[in-house]
Amino acid sequence: MNISEPIIKIERVHKHFGRVHALRGVTMDVQRGEVVVIVGPSGSGKSTLLRCINRLEEYDLGRIVVDGIPLDSAQNINTVRKEIGIVFQSFNLFAHLTVTENLTLAQRVVHRRSKEESQKIAIELLTKVGIPEKACAYPIQLSGGQQQRVAIARALAMNPKIMLFDEPTSALDPEMIKEVLDVMLALANEGMTMVVVSHEMGFVRAAADRMIFMDEGQIIEEATPEKLFTSPTHERTKLFLSKVLHM
Amino acid sequence: MEGQPKLVPNEKELTRIPGAEPSTRIDPWWWLVVAVVALVVILTTTKPDPFGRILLFVRDGIVVTVSITIASFVFILIVGMVGGLGRLARNRFIRGISTLYVEIVRGIPLLVQLIWWYFAFPVVIQQIGRWLDIPAMANYQANAIFTAIAGLVFCYGAYMTEIYRAGIQSIPKGQTEAARSLGMSYFQAMRYVVLPQAVRVILPPVGNEFIALLKDSSLVSVVAVADLTRRGREFMAAHFNPIEVWAMVALLYLVMTLFSARIVAWIEKKTRFER
Repeated sequence: MNISEPIIKIERVHKHFGRVHALRGVTMDVQRGEVVVIVGPSGSGKSTLLRCINRLEEYDLGRIVVDGIPLDSAQNINTVRKEIGIVFQSFNLFAHLTVTENLTLAQRVVHRRSKEESQKIAIELLTKVGIPEKACAYPIQLSGGQQQRVAIARALAMNPKIMLFDEPTSALDPEMIKEVLDVMLALANEGMTMVVVSHEMGFVRAAADRMIFMDEGQIIEEATPEKLFTSPTHERTKLFLSKVLHM
Repeated sequence: MEGQPKLVPNEKELTRIPGAEPSTRIDPWWWLVVAVVALVVILTTTKPDPFGRILLFVRDGIVVTVSITIASFVFILIVGMVGGLGRLARNRFIRGISTLYVEIVRGIPLLVQLIWWYFAFPVVIQQIGRWLDIPAMANYQANAIFTAIAGLVFCYGAYMTEIYRAGIQSIPKGQTEAARSLGMSYFQAMRYVVLPQAVRVILPPVGNEFIALLKDSSLVSVVAVADLTRRGREFMAAHFNPIEVWAMVALLYLVMTLFSARIVAWIEKKTRFER
């Protein structure tokens, strides 16, 4: 496979929720190792776009190709899902399983790894996200920040090539946001391809290669964070950024 | 990081899950079970005639009632799960079949269904056998026990379908999404993530269904199954002492239902978890 090919190709994707036209012909590429942050007002379609990339959301028109695999058959969708990790706003840890079991379940049933191997990987990743001591805890016993770090570790356990983050810090108390962002920053520095929906401008400045501004189901503008912050082309971008930057 | 972190939780840590602490105290309602059992024992020992004789006469009926209830319930749990998944299936045809099953079955009294299975169903089979010239079908005779279990499973399976459906729907969609996005198939997500959580949610209504089934199994006495109720009727017909017979039969049902209720409560406590 050509390494200079974009790892994610999105072409003219449309999506309706009933009568709401959520995505209006979105076209974008993500290169290998790139960190892309999508910002925009609520209801602008940024989460929907992210969820289309691993087909948690079906789209009506257009084409998405991930790592050379078009999202057009059930088999392809499952192959692509194994290559993409996603982290949700509401963590979605498996409530009936311990932290270790959360990390090993998919490794065992999807990748067919042995119990020992999957547990070894689980502990390595828990150490990486800084909470190995919570290996036997249940999700309910963890703080939001800890739960989100477990969710990141759970996704990483599948060795994804791409990580998607859907507002990973929006449900967290301010003092817990940093611990999650630190893990994401470390991941970005390792060269992971990341698509992030977030309004954490600190993260954008520190890690984003490219920033995309969406509104009403369309990409309005995309550029390096520096360029968007200092000289946005569109009036809507300017207005939106002035609000999030001066919070 | 100091030392190798543990992988398997020890008993002490598990007990710290809020709301899931195993209680060393015995469920206080056990005394009611004990009281009813004591009453049966006192009646049969102080007045062996007729109470002791009734108990001896109906004891094989108790075995039949318990066996039919447990055998039916195993199948009901399976039918309910398949039906519940069918009610939530994306395929419109499967969803339609499951809904039709539930709507029809729960609209017909169980007694009528049992009578249909026993008297009408064999005739239907015989007719078809004659048309198709299959001797095995043409000579089909109703088997009382089979009919009873089939009738109970068909009827209670519909109620159980609705319980499973509600249980599965009560699990947040994010759980399935997380499982699917990790590459699990629909069935893997159900098997490892959704159903284990749904089962804990539906345990109280499922326990209720078990107790209701135990009582409703008395209806099979009309289709020639020698269960507790039918044995009671037989004893009454021979000796004509309705008060003693039906007091005894009622007490025996009460022992079984109260005992089941305590078992259900115990299982609930054991499997409780907080989300």
